Amino acid sequence: MRRAALLFAYSLRRARALILTTGLLLGALQLVLIFVAGALQSSGSFDQLSAIIPPFARELLGPSVTIVMSFGGIVCMGYFELAVMGALIAVAVTLATTPTSEVETGFMDLILARPLARHWVITRTVALTTFVTAAMVALMVGGTWAGLRMFAPAGVAWPAATLINSLAVNLGMLTLCWGGVAMAIGAASTRRSVAGGAAGLLALGTFLLDYVARLWQPAEKVAWISPFRYYNPFDLITGIALPYRNLVVLGAIALAGFVAAYVLFARRDISN
Amino acid sequence: MAPISIRGVTKRYGNLLAVNNLSLEVFQGEILGFLGLNGAGKTTTIRILLDLLRPTSGNAVILGHDCQADGLRARQNIGYLPGEMGIYSDLTGREVLDLLAGLNGHTIDKSFRHELQGRLEFPDSDLRRRLREYSTGMKRKLGLIQAFQSDPLLLILDEPTEGLDPLMQESFYKLLVGVKERGRTVFMSSHVLSEVDRVCDRIALVRKGELVLLSNVEELRKLAARPVRVSFAEDVPVAPALPPGIEIIETGPRSWSLRVEGPMGPLLRAIAGLPLRDIEIAEAKLEDVILKYYRDGAE
Repeated sequence: MRRAALLFAYSLRRARALILTTGLLLGALQLVLIFVAGALQSSGSFDQLSAIIPPFARELLGPSVTIVMSFGGIVCMGYFELAVMGALIAVAVTLATTPTSEVETGFMDLILARPLARHWVITRTVALTTFVTAAMVALMVGGTWAGLRMFAPAGVAWPAATLINSLAVNLGMLTLCWGGVAMAIGAASTRRSVAGGAAGLLALGTFLLDYVARLWQPAEKVAWISPFRYYNPFDLITGIALPYRNLVVLGAIALAGFVAAYVLFARRDISN
Repeated sequence: MAPISIRGVTKRYGNLLAVNNLSLEVFQGEILGFLGLNGAGKTTTIRILLDLLRPTSGNAVILGHDCQADGLRARQNIGYLPGEMGIYSDLTGREVLDLLAGLNGHTIDKSFRHELQGRLEFPDSDLRRRLREYSTGMKRKLGLIQAFQSDPLLLILDEPTEGLDPLMQESFYKLLVGVKERGRTVFMSSHVLSEVDRVCDRIALVRKGELVLLSNVEELRKLAARPVRVSFAEDVPVAPALPPGIEIIETGPRSWSLRVEGPMGPLLRAIAGLPLRDIEIAEAKLEDVILKYYRDGAE
């Protein structure tokens, strides 16, 4: 256990630049969004913006369009903006494929030549991915509350704390899910680029599947396989409570990925 | 109890047979040189000992513990130097040594580490530098320090002098002498035959995954043909047919260059009637025997 903790501390230290940079950027993005939302609110521009949304987009977004085109909607956008989701998933995939990178560089030889069981390597990675995901989402939430205090115009209604927390928890679980998928792929790979690329392509493919299913009814039949199906920020914004089923499904995918990683890594040859 | 006992280990990658039914014991306190051409199966065998690779069949035991079934205990007292040090370049040398010492779980005797640094001319100022600033030789020295720093009972070294300059090679050989004096065991793969000749007690030679030679270095040297130069006081006719085991390399009117396997008696009897002036017998080279095994494999 002490050895695993040492490995965790070492890995966290190595990844600190990536974690801090991404976390602070995501936190800062919340501030920027709130600043913009505050400016739009003060100038009364939300009605004009709603008016220029094309009919097909209005149909796609449904009743949530009016809510998104509001101060609270823009604040929440920081939790489902494509770049935000992409950055979080990219960091999770990077961290989850740490063992693959260590096999590739040969560092794993030095680690496992010590009296350290292989399962600790995966446990370290699970802990690292979970901790960093939680920390980055927490930085985003911190950024949101700091931004609201600094830039929210007087008298405007803030989004409810439960809404922000629900978005954050659901987004965090989606990120962790992709960490699990990447870890399982990485546990059987010898190249981080291959494992990361495969996980990234899978994420992009399932994202597009979910997107297409929202526009094209036949795709709906297979869209359930996409983890993005279990993150519906627009539903949350319109006031629907966070469905725990979504968290359970995403958590189950993450857990299945972690278990697969344990099994695959325990059985594989360590060879670069 | 032999510190290393390999019993019928086979490792197959699809159709490729990397190690074939290898059995070998390394005795307490000896330095065993593990030789073979590239791809002969040396590194695969070492990786099986460390449980990095799983054998297709057979098993290996280290310090009384099965490498696979009881791998943690087997690796409790090992120092390992890989063929290539896969270390992240953003770490300092000290961070690497401390991390690997911590993963070993042993308390490192700092004075012993310092002594190692001194012998390998690796000052503290170098340990404070990041690995991206290290040369190949410096990385190799760092690798040696991390392998030796806990003074383990068994050292497994993969091509230890690769990348070291001659002076550092000399320092490494002295380190090995110290290790041997403390009763430690060393299992090292090498390409450098002169090095094996100098530091090893026994050698094991693998070819295409099979053990083809396991011998004491002294005994092996006796098998080696010795170069002999015979000089005559006056011109002699071309060498007559010489007894078996004597090979003519070059003949002149007043000197012959020969290569003699085994005792010198047959040669001395063959030239007894000639006007002999001098005989120079050079030391047998282990390399000659080993190269013969290599060549046999190449044919």
